Amino acid sequence: MSFDPVTLATPFFILTVILEIVLARLNKVEARYETKDTAVSLFMGLGSTVAGVLTAGASFAAAVWVYHHRIFTIPMTAVWAWIAVFLLEDMTYYWFHRLSHERRFWWASHVNHHSSQHYNLSTALRQTWTGGVAGTWLLWLPLSFLGFPPAMVAIEKGISLVYQYWIHTETIRRLPAPIEAVFNTPSHHRVHHARNPRYLDRNYAGILIIWDRMFGSFQPELDEEPCRYGLVKNLGTFNIVRVAFHEWIAIAQDLVRRPRHALGWLFGPPGWSPDGSRETSTEIKAAWAARQVAGEAKKAA
Amino acid sequence: MNAAFLIQVAVSALAVAAMVALAAWAKIARPQAPLDEARARALFAEDFPERTIEAVWVATDGTGALARSGAEALVLSRLGDGYTTRQIPWAEAAAAALRDGRITLKIADVAAPRAVIALDAWPPKDLAA
Repeated sequence: MSFDPVTLATPFFILTVILEIVLARLNKVEARYETKDTAVSLFMGLGSTVAGVLTAGASFAAAVWVYHHRIFTIPMTAVWAWIAVFLLEDMTYYWFHRLSHERRFWWASHVNHHSSQHYNLSTALRQTWTGGVAGTWLLWLPLSFLGFPPAMVAIEKGISLVYQYWIHTETIRRLPAPIEAVFNTPSHHRVHHARNPRYLDRNYAGILIIWDRMFGSFQPELDEEPCRYGLVKNLGTFNIVRVAFHEWIAIAQDLVRRPRHALGWLFGPPGWSPDGSRETSTEIKAAWAARQVAGEAKKAA
Repeated sequence: MNAAFLIQVAVSALAVAAMVALAAWAKIARPQAPLDEARARALFAEDFPERTIEAVWVATDGTGALARSGAEALVLSRLGDGYTTRQIPWAEAAAAALRDGRITLKIADVAAPRAVIALDAWPPKDLAA
């Protein structure tokens, strides 16, 4: 396939990271870059392109095989087909992304992207090395089964990835209301990267925020609650191997210690444990909500 | 992997190195004052909102802190211009040996395997049990 939006956009990625750093240095924009954090983000991005090449062949071959057994034949030249694949791919991305946060096996792959305590354009490039192994590419196969050519789906996935790059910034605060209503924006995605209990597991959108509004996972950014970025339990190291594989290793350790709970360790939500000694996002949010209610009651008394 | 891809990776690696160097030159990390007790307590409260803190020991170099909360020790360490926290059994923290003005705490977490806290004295006599 010769048209790859991500490869074409790579010079744009580099130039805009440079621009954000220089403008922040000149106090023209609000952005923070820490040297080691930036290095980890960018080398994770570089590593993910290498890892992606290693598994891309298998996933593309699977898509081609499924396409040979398709229901319809959808022409790549029709405008309606591009509109349809845009909407369907974006909804697929929403569910892929939600799964990647709500089930530990897939979180193990996606956690890398959230492990920076910063939110800048380099964070966008902090991509997983293990996405191919996690097998989430299977979620896009139904599009080929419907009849969208695999190249068309791959291009749309690339467009989505490129779109999601520019929203990783604190430089842009809010966009006009009609845009915030329909599209994923820097403001919506800041919420997604925040570790504040109120913001956990919200705003899974790729390009269109409408999916979060439809499926009940939307949370606007609130001026009274600034985003604190990173993980519920932040990393204590810049070692890139630990950054890339820590959750996979933690799963393996749990499986070895208590194999009887293998299903829970693998497919429970992140933070699940058989004895309840750890906390899931749902539990963290519930405890936070209870504290809010108690605080209000105390104020009223 | 063909030659074009390898060239692309090599050029990207050079670009990454240049961007990291630029970030280092720009010095635009978050400003970090040494921790004091109030700031340490605030950071502990963010990550352990349900825990009651009985005592806090702030590192002499201001880069970390240790707190006792019942049978648990809460550990705060600086990483870059941010912080990370963990909890370990108090008995393990109290048993840590002070060497060269530092205690090293082993944490059973592959994502944050240890914390080093600079302290004048350890363990505290009145809370060691």
